[in-house]
Amino acid sequence: MAGLLPSEFPGAWQGSLRVDGRELAVAEAPPLPATMEIGAGIVQQDPASQLVMERVGDDVAFGLENLAWPLAEMRRRVPEALAAVGLAGFEARRSTRLSGGEQQRVAIAGVLAPAPGLLVLDEPTANLDPDGAAVVARILATLREQRAATIVLVEHRASLAWPLADLVLAFDAEGRPIDVGPPSDVLARSGRALEKAGVWLPGTGEPSPNRSPAPRVSEAVPERSFRPLDRWFRQPERGSLPILEVDDVRFAFDGGEPVLRDIELTVGAGERVALVGANGSGKTTLLRLALGLLRPLTGDIRLGGRSSWRLPPHQLSRLAGYVVQDPELGFLADSVREEVELGLAAEQVGYAHELCERLALPLESFGDRSPYQLSGGEQRRLSLVTGLARRPLLLALDEPTYGQDRHGHEALVAALDELVGQGSALLAATHDDRFVRDATDRRVELAGGWIVADEPVGTAPDDGARAGAPVPRRQAATARARSRP
Amino acid sequence: MTAAILAPDVGPVQRESLLGRTNPLVKLGIAVVWLIGLGLTTDVRPPLILTLVALIGGLQLGGLSMGALARRIAPLWLAVAGIALANLLFSVHNPDPLATELVRIGPLRITQEALDAAAGLGARVLSIISVGAVFALTTDATYLIDSLVQLARVSPRFAYGTLAAYQAVPRLAEDLGTLRSARRLRGLREWHPRIIVGLLVRAIRHADQLAVAMDARGFGTGRRSTYRPVSWKPLDGAVALAALAILVAALAIAR
Repeated sequence: MAGLLPSEFPGAWQGSLRVDGRELAVAEAPPLPATMEIGAGIVQQDPASQLVMERVGDDVAFGLENLAWPLAEMRRRVPEALAAVGLAGFEARRSTRLSGGEQQRVAIAGVLAPAPGLLVLDEPTANLDPDGAAVVARILATLREQRAATIVLVEHRASLAWPLADLVLAFDAEGRPIDVGPPSDVLARSGRALEKAGVWLPGTGEPSPNRSPAPRVSEAVPERSFRPLDRWFRQPERGSLPILEVDDVRFAFDGGEPVLRDIELTVGAGERVALVGANGSGKTTLLRLALGLLRPLTGDIRLGGRSSWRLPPHQLSRLAGYVVQDPELGFLADSVREEVELGLAAEQVGYAHELCERLALPLESFGDRSPYQLSGGEQRRLSLVTGLARRPLLLALDEPTYGQDRHGHEALVAALDELVGQGSALLAATHDDRFVRDATDRRVELAGGWIVADEPVGTAPDDGARAGAPVPRRQAATARARSRP
Repeated sequence: MTAAILAPDVGPVQRESLLGRTNPLVKLGIAVVWLIGLGLTTDVRPPLILTLVALIGGLQLGGLSMGALARRIAPLWLAVAGIALANLLFSVHNPDPLATELVRIGPLRITQEALDAAAGLGARVLSIISVGAVFALTTDATYLIDSLVQLARVSPRFAYGTLAAYQAVPRLAEDLGTLRSARRLRGLREWHPRIIVGLLVRAIRHADQLAVAMDARGFGTGRRSTYRPVSWKPLDGAVALAALAILVAALAIAR
């Protein structure tokens, strides 16, 4: 719709696509100039790869320059566009130094600046923390009220998209349309078909605002495919064997501001811990410290009883499995089969193949393909297979559910539960409230490098925990006092 | 660390300094003319004078701090010392029986001619590195690219594409770190040639996404206007004349 197909990507066309009455689907002629005249703008998933210029103001102006706007007009319009996304006064900031949420807002400002007739957004909140996503959703809601542009939002987390939509067009996994119409009609008519296709429907699995969260097991009943009571029988005694011990750890990069301060955390066998917090709060750094990829400035981190950064690779790989945020950065081989079996002992291969099967990556059909040619969701599931195949003691997951539909989510939760049932511990950095509820029992919240909350999942409603910032802050203060005798 | 060397951070202090405000093309021109000028002499003094001028200029007029400058240049100076030493020890003049002998340690013979040649070469490389470092540390990348497009008529597609790619450098360094840790967690050695393939795939993917993002915003479709107009200023002329005078003076000393 933004006129990038077919000129940018090879593929076959059929039918016609008209934007503002102009034909775009002419395979021979690159349609770009036409789209720009109409004014169609696109915002993509990954905020960082959309920013062209070094400074925010210049980036917002980039699209205007390309349309040959006069200088005076640009000087008026750039601050306007930034203000519209809540970033007034950010003109001289460096775009690479912004948080993911801010970068995505800059990208939206850049697309909004030429006042496009059509705004296409491809999962704009996929990389953002809940607060960043909420801001983007608010901006979209405001744009919708102004009725200045047609907005096309591609999203598989329907809870964000549903309340914003006037019209819903749902696709199944093969790209066939399921239904089209106003949101409530589509939900009533095709709710079941959508669910079957793995689309997240609004409301499912989210606790209603006034209901106090039910105990985890019963809450999961309608969502989960396995029998709920299993968990109580499978789980070994919690915390009986500490797998990860983080002892008064402080960390900073290259003599900069501390990224983590006075962190105390013990994770025992059979525990399922969610690490939550805004982008940049230190979640990934804590994971990397736990895995011995970084060395703490002060304090100690023990994995299976030994300082994690001293572990040689062959021991580390038995103790811990790491699923990185961006699956492509974990791929080391040329084919999926090679990737799955890389470095595995003979007796582990069977389980690895079983995992592939369960996570919808059967090796018969996927084995010979290149890991880089899989779809985003498939890549993520492959990285899960490689991280879990050794049945490591510590499962360290960084945003494991990003880009997954409901089927992927359920298969992941089931596989994790099984490993935890066998005595592993789960430590997952995530923005996904649904994953926190379905797959973890303990929620550790980081803010500015401090642990500001450490509580069982389900005691406090999510919004309450975020709104109740003063309480966590006091906890942080006491933690600090304790560590300085 | 790697990223800091490859993509130096030019802060507002440097940008607003006298050298920072001087048009980058003027500074680039000065560097080229100085380099050609040094080709006219084999004397050690002119390159050393220009090195000194560049460093003092960077500190006094470029808003650079002694620490920041030293951190960036120190590893390169070590390289210069290595080059000079190698040329001193393995010079063709050393075995020459007609050359003046200075020192003899066992089989090692060092001659006056070898010392002169090594010092001349070392001083020249030193001046190139110092002038280059001061240029890089006082020049805002956006200003350079804008000047290239508006004053030197370089194709915007090439220039802005380069600028955007330049910004991906720190990100690629980060990617490399993640790839290495992924290997470690799979029980493998961190360094392996295979890692280059992963990095290459990432680089191509970044480039691809960036190209799509630029095209989606109408880049390269027709006439552009400019948000940051650049023109020649009296300051540019003054700096150019001063630099030329310094070069002439430095060469005059050599005679």
